[in-house]
Amino acid sequence: MVKEIDRAGIPVAHICTVVPISLTIGANRIVPAIGIPYPLGDPTQGEKKSKEIREQLVKRALKTLTIPVEEQTVFEEDF
Amino acid sequence: MKLELGKIHVRDVKLGPETKIEDHVLYVNQEELVAEVLTDDRLVNCRIELAKPGESVRITPVKDVIEPRLKVDGPGTVFPGIMGKVQEVGTGTTYCMDGVCVVTVGKIVGFQEGVIDMSGPAAEYCPFSKTLNVCVVIEPRDDLETHVYETAGRMAGLKAATYLAKALKDQTPDETITYETKPLLEQVAQYPDLPKVGYIHMLQSQGLLHDTYYYGVDAKDFVPTIMYPTEIFDGAIVSGNCVAPCDKVTTYHHLHNPVIEDLFKEHGKSLNFVGVVLTNENVFLMDKERHSDMTAKLCEFMGLDGVIITEEGYGNPDTDLMMNCKKVTQKGIKVVIITDEFPGRDGKSYSLADLADEADTMISCGNGNVVIHFPAMDKVIGTLESIEMQIGGWVGCKNDDGSFDAEIQIIIASTIANGFNKLCARGY
Repeated sequence: MVKEIDRAGIPVAHICTVVPISLTIGANRIVPAIGIPYPLGDPTQGEKKSKEIREQLVKRALKTLTIPVEEQTVFEEDF
Repeated sequence: MKLELGKIHVRDVKLGPETKIEDHVLYVNQEELVAEVLTDDRLVNCRIELAKPGESVRITPVKDVIEPRLKVDGPGTVFPGIMGKVQEVGTGTTYCMDGVCVVTVGKIVGFQEGVIDMSGPAAEYCPFSKTLNVCVVIEPRDDLETHVYETAGRMAGLKAATYLAKALKDQTPDETITYETKPLLEQVAQYPDLPKVGYIHMLQSQGLLHDTYYYGVDAKDFVPTIMYPTEIFDGAIVSGNCVAPCDKVTTYHHLHNPVIEDLFKEHGKSLNFVGVVLTNENVFLMDKERHSDMTAKLCEFMGLDGVIITEEGYGNPDTDLMMNCKKVTQKGIKVVIITDEFPGRDGKSYSLADLADEADTMISCGNGNVVIHFPAMDKVIGTLESIEMQIGGWVGCKNDDGSFDAEIQIIIASTIANGFNKLCARGY
């Protein structure tokens, strides 16, 4: 799905837990998530912290859409 | 570590007043067996049903398959840390009830519990269509959480196998096989001219009903370790998962790990089988990175020339498989991977979720997405009510007469990724 959206000319960010699979499949903007059981949050850190993590990841993903990339890029940190 | 496996061949199974083996026939006292299973207050009912090869019988949803084994000499008990105290196993003598399986059946736990047909087209794909199956049909209490029911189901099968195994006590084996692996330096010195080969055994450990236990330890909680191969024959590894049926490594498959059995067949002839590296398939990338690093380090430390790797399940474990393959290869060790494939019903998708340049030698155990027809059977042990939601099925796949269409991944062990099946892909 990521590749097809890309192919249609719409920038797309893949928030994913297993980065190597995303690289193998060919996503261009990759935002590493927390883990397979809870990609966008972390219940072990409580609901408040979990929501902060979620907001941070989604905002980072949205921001990646605003910049051009020349090759497959993994956005490990906020920028 | 040296282990003798004494196999007692069983050619028929019947219900009877006493649990015993006589003239290659297993008699089962079902009242005693049911009472043993119902010592668990999480279960409210249990029924014993027998299923034999060639019968018009369908068994589903299947949770686990277990061969009864009994430790007759040497330390420990079969299934250490679960059915007995924790003590190292893999030494001495163990008797096996060859030809008999305990099959745990009952209301669906997850959605990844499969089908065993005792005859018809689906029987061709399943090793347990050819065994004498003592089906333990369990009914859980209504208020159980799913993971608690999974535990109760797992224990029911192990208890039943342990109960039946007592009948092996005074038997004389029809066949005895001796396996031995020496401590590393001695083992290397025994066959100095043969290539040193190891086996990387990846245990399913994703959690959420996808777990495996090593001496009672949940496999997601350990870091990679080294094991003597004979430990596995005494039940050091127990399945506790609802992974896709086609490549579910049941407890039976651990007891009969075909890679270990085959490496022993070549031990001292074409290779020197040095040992097993046990690792897991966890759901956090950091675990995958750390444990593949450690797996490669252990292979290097053992001085291996070549390894075989198997995985359990598909999807994200393919990443663990590829990381292990890549990092072990980068240590200068030759790697062969064994796995199954899921390219979609049209065969047009990637057959594995992840790839690596180093994965250049692979043995395929078949395509789990192939659809076949499952004709109606005269008898169902368990229930067909979940067929549409069991993996491989779909809404509308089942007909009123009990027949259905489904991908072969609904069949227990049809494409099992350690090679305990008949499917194979050949390159031409």
